[in-house]
Amino acid sequence: MGHDRYDVIIVGAGPAGSSAAKICADHNLSVALIEKGRFPGSKNMFGDTIYRAATEEIIPGFWEEAPIERKVIRETLYFMEADSFVEMGFTSFKFAKPPYNTFTVIRSRFDRWLAGLTEKAGAHLMNSTLVEDILFEKDGPGSKKVGGVILEDGTRIYSDIVILAEGAMADLAQEIGLRKKISTDILSVYVKELIALPREIIEDRFNLEKDEGMNIGMVGFPTAGAIGKAGIWLNKDTISLIVGGHLNHLIKNGLNPYQLLCRLKEHPAVKRLIDGGETVQYMGKIIPKGGYDRIPELYDNGIMIVGDAGMLVSGRHGTDAAMLSGKYAAETAIQAKAKGDFSKKTLSAYQTKINYSFFLNNLKINRKSSDYYKKYPDADFLISKTLNKLVYEFFTEGNLTQEEKFKMMLEKVKSIQPIFKSLKDFYHAVLNWRIY
Amino acid sequence: MTAFGKNKEDPLKYVNNIPAENPHIQIKNKEICIDNCENKPCTYYCPGRVCSWSDEEQAIQVDHTRCIECGSCPWGCPYDNIYWEFPPGGYGVHYEI
Repeated sequence: MGHDRYDVIIVGAGPAGSSAAKICADHNLSVALIEKGRFPGSKNMFGDTIYRAATEEIIPGFWEEAPIERKVIRETLYFMEADSFVEMGFTSFKFAKPPYNTFTVIRSRFDRWLAGLTEKAGAHLMNSTLVEDILFEKDGPGSKKVGGVILEDGTRIYSDIVILAEGAMADLAQEIGLRKKISTDILSVYVKELIALPREIIEDRFNLEKDEGMNIGMVGFPTAGAIGKAGIWLNKDTISLIVGGHLNHLIKNGLNPYQLLCRLKEHPAVKRLIDGGETVQYMGKIIPKGGYDRIPELYDNGIMIVGDAGMLVSGRHGTDAAMLSGKYAAETAIQAKAKGDFSKKTLSAYQTKINYSFFLNNLKINRKSSDYYKKYPDADFLISKTLNKLVYEFFTEGNLTQEEKFKMMLEKVKSIQPIFKSLKDFYHAVLNWRIY
Repeated sequence: MTAFGKNKEDPLKYVNNIPAENPHIQIKNKEICIDNCENKPCTYYCPGRVCSWSDEEQAIQVDHTRCIECGSCPWGCPYDNIYWEFPPGGYGVHYEI
């Protein structure tokens, strides 16, 4: 049964919240884990990749019991034009064996499983519960600290620490002023269709052995000129097809994400991959890609922000940063509890851990890359066009001498833009491959 | 209301939704849509087509039962004129597969 006082209240039972809850509960803190969906994962729409290196810091050897869909062994990038595409890729058979590399999961299964582990550790999971407000209490003359939450029915629950793991919308973080209002230029909106096909057909079609998976990133054609990406990844018996782009670009170009998805499904490269499949789910989500400069204040007296709510997301890379930030917040909460001090000063240990993390440093480095796409929003479109023209000429037979052919290829490339710019576009496309 | 263009099926049939009675999305001030907003981008950027323009009512119509909770609408409105909150606990989109 519920209580009205806990050591820690965690808002949101996604990967960040559940990771924090698990570690706090393992260290005998009393934990309330509050989830607005009917069960954890039931409203969770993206981040279907989980990363072995980050996840095993929370649950060693998790792949033995977690509901995994496939082990990813191949990464492919398509530079697409309307009637051709240039493909780059890498396959590692090492990734098919323990300890693996990345996995695909279905969130309504994985998040539910992870939250189940927190319950076993003693956390109190409250489903179908929306937090309406943050509660403050006085902790000295002129100073206040977060002291709990108010639920939508007015119930008050108190705690020493609140950890906000509320996801991208971050209503609460914004309400209490830790996160500033976000603007459309840092928001991407993605839509996804889940397309069902028998697992043998998926494995045959994508040239995979049982339980192996692959990702395809797609640039150029899919977003019709907006900054954005498309992608395919594989579950046991479904294919995820996604497309999306910067919200301000979609708006400026009069585009609807679902229409982009329909258009992509008709592309011959994609059509044959999903042929015969039956759509079983449609979903959409914004992703705040503010980068390093827009990361909000992550802590204050009695409160910490983790995961997407703290904009700790870099392209499609999000669940690893989410889980690790959850872990760091939990460790900080455990220390604070031992000290009996929940002040901003004590909780600053969380920020220090974040500052030393690989994901924060990546966000810092990638600042330049996102500036590049802001400066050249059509970079992916131009490089896709250039590569396709180049390779088309290379393979087209036309009774030409090698010298004539190369001269012609060079002219084609130059006709689009200076060669140096194409090289830069190519460099950035490849750099962004992992994080689309 | 479901117009996604010619020959496009309505993707909402692949969304499992438990709509709450009260809408969680509202236009804050209907005058702004008429007086200030020429393009009415909310009628096209939303992946669920929640908002549509009604000639008859001379207002944006909001069908919250079409909302897939992507979170775009409050940010995409050029006049910050869309109020959005999460549906009550246990309501709204519900994925179980």
